[in-house]
Amino acid sequence: MNVVELVEVTKVYELPRGSVKALDNVTASIEAGEFISVMGPSGSGKTTFLNIIGCLDTPTEGTVDIGGENINGLDDEALTKIRRDKIGFVFQQFNLIATLTALENIEYPMILKGVNGHEEKSKELVSSVGLDEELGENKPNELSGGEQQRVAIARALANDPDIILADEPTGNLDSKTSKDIMQLLKDTNERGKTIIIVTHDPQVASYTKRTFRLVDGRIDSDGVFL
Amino acid sequence: MIFFEFAKRNLARHKFRSVLAILGIVIGVLAITALGILGNSVQLAVSEQLCMIGNELVVYPYGEEAISEDNFKKIEKVAEAIPVQSIGDKATLNGESTFVMVYGMRSEDIPKLLEKEAGQFLKHGSLNCMVGSRLADNYELRVGERAALQSQKPRIVGILAERGVGFDISPDNAIIVSDKMFDLMYNTTGYNSVIVKVEKIEDVEEAREEIEARLNKKEEVVMVMELKMIVEGIKGLFNTISIFLLGIGAISLVVAGVSILNVMMMSTVERTKEIGVMRAIGTSKRGILRMFLFESLILGAIGGVIGAISGFGAGFLVDVLILHEASYLFAPSSILYVFVGIAFGVGTSVLSGLYPAWRASKLKPIEALRHE
Repeated sequence: MNVVELVEVTKVYELPRGSVKALDNVTASIEAGEFISVMGPSGSGKTTFLNIIGCLDTPTEGTVDIGGENINGLDDEALTKIRRDKIGFVFQQFNLIATLTALENIEYPMILKGVNGHEEKSKELVSSVGLDEELGENKPNELSGGEQQRVAIARALANDPDIILADEPTGNLDSKTSKDIMQLLKDTNERGKTIIIVTHDPQVASYTKRTFRLVDGRIDSDGVFL
Repeated sequence: MIFFEFAKRNLARHKFRSVLAILGIVIGVLAITALGILGNSVQLAVSEQLCMIGNELVVYPYGEEAISEDNFKKIEKVAEAIPVQSIGDKATLNGESTFVMVYGMRSEDIPKLLEKEAGQFLKHGSLNCMVGSRLADNYELRVGERAALQSQKPRIVGILAERGVGFDISPDNAIIVSDKMFDLMYNTTGYNSVIVKVEKIEDVEEAREEIEARLNKKEEVVMVMELKMIVEGIKGLFNTISIFLLGIGAISLVVAGVSILNVMMMSTVERTKEIGVMRAIGTSKRGILRMFLFESLILGAIGGVIGAISGFGAGFLVDVLILHEASYLFAPSSILYVFVGIAFGVGTSVLSGLYPAWRASKLKPIEALRHE
């Protein structure tokens, strides 16, 4: 089954200096359980590609199916629900909520969804990403970068989503910690999660099984080039 | 409630700023509550004093020189009535000649209308007199001395307490004699006015109509003056003063509202990225809206309660210092201002938070995420 299905997707941004085609007629299919990296120079449309899969942005043309559901024309509320239930986000700057403890950050998506037993589940998730449970009581600013990114991955897994989207997940980490985080993502993929990573680091891409190359908004290499 | 918890923690994150915002609300609510209580207390104090004459009617002759004994009897059937004879005359006091008002009243009616400062009231059919406080002061009159009026020299047996200008009679510059003495000196018939006392202020209208119906049946012989109307005019004036005071309080609350607006705007801008993250991981627009509204609600509620309590305290101080009377403070109409203050504080705060909260909820997730 394809968890992501993009057909002839074009995204045009209207900017003051004219319109910019961030994605140009992109068609791509991703099957459940794939581990994918998206590479390309900056401005090639990687982040737009990720944002459209993550239901943060909508295409100007073309159709997008996420987890078997067509998202074209869905309103903000419906897209928010898809992000909450089907997608987990991991950011370059970790982006944990500063006022919440690590455990509360992991619980938060479950509380939004109304999941029972979120306290227990968040503790399980903390240990599953290789952190001590005691660290869970700390606020993000009391954790190291690697620890924060582990918490962020646990948060992304909270509602058991179909897809994990990671935008430069190792961009703010040293090489040793980067390796640990990539290993964690690899383990997560081996447990059955579909993971899509945007990166410009070949080292990161080497962990993945398939690479999309984006150039000027067009998909190259492993994707379908049109 | 997760968004309430967020609101609490976000406010705690910037304690100093939150405290300043709360302080603004405290001052506004304090002003509204204290000024409201003050205005209300003044109004209560004045009405209490006016109430004593508010239930009076004064009947004057109309087209005739005096109210006849027959007509007085008719009035008496409606309510308690005090007949008054009056005349302006020259009197000699302590050797000086002066112009005074002379009132003739039934001895038993005098204590119903007037209070004495020294000596005693007139006995029934007495040929003595009482003098008003101003006359007594100006001519250094004492109980036991004599006044010279017409061919009589009545002994002063009592001095009246100061009463001010009355709507019915003005005794401060007057000599009060018994009806018998008045007849003896001036030999008049009938009364110059009749003061009617109604038990309850609400019955004034009815009494007036009844007197007019009984006496002015064929032709108009009396004119009935209602003191209630004057009282109401004065009350209206104090009402205006109260509203003016509240207006001053309201202005300070508007200023507080602007500062809340400012604080909330700052906080939405600062937290743009965080809002983006929250939206990205599945927080609805409504959730963001609620979080910010809770923040302004908490600021307003804390400020409102502190402001109302201190406003009540300030109201107490002002009442004691200006009115020398704290009992009006616990009147329901005063207590009401405590709640009015809280309501205005919370209302202003939430209203000021509305626009920033709406703006925050409208942020596009990807744009907010890009914000540094």
